Amino acid sequence: MAIRELKVCLLGDTGVGKSSIVCRFVQDHFDHHISPTIGASFLTKTVPSGNELHKFLIWDTAGQERFHSLAPMYYRGSAAAVIVYDITKLDSFQTLKRWVKELKEHGPEDIVVAIAGNKNDLGDIREVPMKEAKEFADSIAAIFIETSARNAVNVEELFQKISKQIPPLENPEVESNDSFKLTRQPAPSYRRCC
Amino acid sequence: MAAEELPSEFDVVILGTGLAESVVAAAFSRVGQRVLHLDRRSYYAANWASFTFNSLLTWIQQHHEEPQPEELHDWSSLLEEGEELIYLSNTDSTSVRNLQVFCFTSEEGEEAEAQSPDAPNTTEEVSAGDAVKETSETESADSKYEETNQKPEEEEEEEQASQTEGEEPEADQPTPTAAQSQSEPTKKKISYAQLVKEGRRFNIDLVSKLLYSRGSLVDLLIKSNVSRYAEFKNVTRILTYRHGQVEQVPCSRADVFASRQLSVVEKRKLMRYLTSCVEETEEQRAYNGRPYLEFLCDQQLGNNLQHFLLHSIAMVTEDTPTEEGLASTRHFLRCLGRYGNTPFLFPVYGLGEIPQCFCRMCAVFGGIYCLRHSVTCLLVEKETNRCKAVIDSRGQRISCSHFVVEDGFVGADRKRLATPTRFLSRAVLITDGSILPSNSDQQVSMITVPPVAAGCPTVKMVELCPSTMTCMPGTHLVHLTCQSVGSAFEDLSPVVTRMFRTPQSHDQEKNPSVLWCLYFNMADGSEVKGHDLPSNVFVTFGPDGALSHEHAVSQAELIFKKILPEEDFCPPAPNPEDIIYDGENTSTGGEEEQSLQTEE
Ligand SMILES: Cc1cc2nc3c(=O)[nH]c(=O)nc-3n(C[C@H](O)[C@H](O)[C@H](O)COP(=O)(O)OP(=O)(O)OC[C@H]3O[C@@H](n4cnc5c(N)ncnc54)[C@H](O)[C@@H]3O)c2cc1C
Ligand SMILES: Nc1nc2c(ncn2[C@@H]2O[C@H](COP(=O)(O)OP(=O)(O)O)[C@@H](O)[C@H]2O)c(=O)[nH]1
Ligand SMILES: [Mg+2]
Repeated sequence: MAIRELKVCLLGDTGVGKSSIVCRFVQDHFDHHISPTIGASFLTKTVPSGNELHKFLIWDTAGQERFHSLAPMYYRGSAAAVIVYDITKLDSFQTLKRWVKELKEHGPEDIVVAIAGNKNDLGDIREVPMKEAKEFADSIAAIFIETSARNAVNVEELFQKISKQIPPLENPEVESNDSFKLTRQPAPSYRRCC
Repeated sequence: MAAEELPSEFDVVILGTGLAESVVAAAFSRVGQRVLHLDRRSYYAANWASFTFNSLLTWIQQHHEEPQPEELHDWSSLLEEGEELIYLSNTDSTSVRNLQVFCFTSEEGEEAEAQSPDAPNTTEEVSAGDAVKETSETESADSKYEETNQKPEEEEEEEQASQTEGEEPEADQPTPTAAQSQSEPTKKKISYAQLVKEGRRFNIDLVSKLLYSRGSLVDLLIKSNVSRYAEFKNVTRILTYRHGQVEQVPCSRADVFASRQLSVVEKRKLMRYLTSCVEETEEQRAYNGRPYLEFLCDQQLGNNLQHFLLHSIAMVTEDTPTEEGLASTRHFLRCLGRYGNTPFLFPVYGLGEIPQCFCRMCAVFGGIYCLRHSVTCLLVEKETNRCKAVIDSRGQRISCSHFVVEDGFVGADRKRLATPTRFLSRAVLITDGSILPSNSDQQVSMITVPPVAAGCPTVKMVELCPSTMTCMPGTHLVHLTCQSVGSAFEDLSPVVTRMFRTPQSHDQEKNPSVLWCLYFNMADGSEVKGHDLPSNVFVTFGPDGALSHEHAVSQAELIFKKILPEEDFCPPAPNPEDIIYDGENTSTGGEEEQSLQTEE
């Protein structure tokens, strides 16, 4: 099966559970004191989707969302974005619109957007009605789901929904293929000394 | 949303997110220092930034507005015993000047030729000198589109022109549309409205540089693993401008043999020269201190080869000493073939990505980022002359052991101004085709343009194609840079007029048309100035005029080594996939390395 790499970036206010969702999805693990850094800044997980394998390259914010200072490079080449809010914090839902706007400004045009209302294990202190969130998601044609990273509810489903929305691979463009990353060992050398 | 407070204690506070500052930030954070990285601007990378078309228009407008009079808040109440304040400058209005914008395409997408055969299409020539006079700083901001309300004196005339032509009028230049559409009736020019609509496809850099494939920035990106955040493209060809023609410079063995411009004898001579100059010889040493041009002349290479070697390979001027010319020739040759056929790389999405990549590395290791946030003053302990803390734009006292600041934020009273500031001249053109069409329309070209007349500067030009993700399909983005002699317009418009089609150019049917262009001057960061500042405050300087990034990287390394002489500078960040469980139980680290190699 062909492996397709898909970059997914996470957005949303600090503390809504972005890193926890990634950690749950990739490592099936929940930790109240997740290190905001190295571990979660770039994780991958491969899942089957139709007759393809989707390898999600998940970029976490590395904390740069805290003071609304995410760099545009964070969005480059993303196939999908997950915007997370905390169902127990109305504020975090209200800033959702700003994140959507930010994504529209800096993200790729054809990006798949998913909205995740996290911490739905805390339904008794809920501040954001599910209906309202669902309506907002519909209005911007985004995937909507409520999750709990803590109880492993709907996290897999979130990524499955994203997988389904990813358009099938177009003809691999020759032009877009000739960019590359720099690596430690030089490229196979056909050294032309002249 | 309530603004969250910043922590109040850091090891290093850094103000400015240009390349040097961002490398410093990554380096400190990487070895465990607590870093606070701020920028007063709303975007990353300071004068190294790249902008979408629309955000570039905003940037232009900002540079036309009068800097807000500094409202000096008195923070002396925050002083403790034995401390004094040093205020920083809160306007960075001095590093960019002489902005001039020209739009040579129609505002809307309509077919202009249909309606305007008798438009007041004056054939009267307007010399470049006149154009300069008539586009004063205030009016050149393309006021029509940005509604800056700064109507120039010729307002009426301009508006008339725009009514008849739907064109951006510029200093009553003959309006180009009618003439062009006659010569090329089939090709529909991209309109200004389309540039704006597709504005997000542009990533227009304020600086124009390239990465040498074996230069210090590439080494640093690889060494630190910051390279995982960016992708690159090869510069695919080196061009030069000679006798009014754009020619390809053969630089690889294959190029030399395939070249149709060179005779068999020249090919042999060139190969021999390039092979021989790799090693230093007695003969070469004899020319030390004398111009490289003289050395080349004495090699009896002929004019063609001499031109290529001097301007395009060594990329030096006629009076550069031989040892310097040879050193740059060797560097050029060493860089060939590592990734591609030329020595150079260009980052996909533009150079503005690079500082952001270093910032991400800093953040991944715990650095805190805050844009639209500045430092207004430093708290200095008088006795030790050390900066103990800074006061941020919200009046919060933040203590730090070291403070790194971009030169632009240092107040004039702290600068030991010896010489007047030198400037670089820059032009950015959006054109409708490549300067040298070839079988591939996705070429990335480095073009060297020797002085067009005596006393004129040597111009470096980079032409980018849409696949670099810096311009919309159907266009090319061209960057011109030189050391400034006059204003950017004075220095660069003669080159633009000769090499491209603008309303000022004549008989250039085959040249690509300029749709839109911007000229500006930027302070030359290579001019390192002294400052009267506490001993634990370090100043970084902005972009220099060189093609390479050595200057910024070496500044960053120097600051790091001064503060932490024992620590490693940007050691490799662990690959998260090496330490963390992956879905398939396999570490993909190795696989990643393999798959990321350049596909030739
Ligand atoms: C989730 C999120 C939250 C953000 N919150 C703020 C913020 O609190 N303050 C801020 O300066 N920038 C904030 N930003 C950044 C902001 O969206 C813009 O990127 C930045 O201010 C430049 O905006 P603009 O020029 O595009 O103008 P716009 O986004 O149209 O904003 C116009 C002006 O209003 C200010 N503004 C807008 N929304 C707020 C707000 N909620 N609180 C205070 N000022 C606001 C902006 O600073 C700007 O000067 C936020 C961004 C995101 C993604
Ligand atoms: N009850 C509950 N707490 C959660 C859930 N997800 C995250 N948290 C907690 O919320 C806090 C912030 O989570 P984190 O993943 O660091 O948020 P981030 O800042 O968006 O990355 C942590 O204390 C988590 O333990 C959840 O689904 N339920
Ligand atoms: Mg997090």
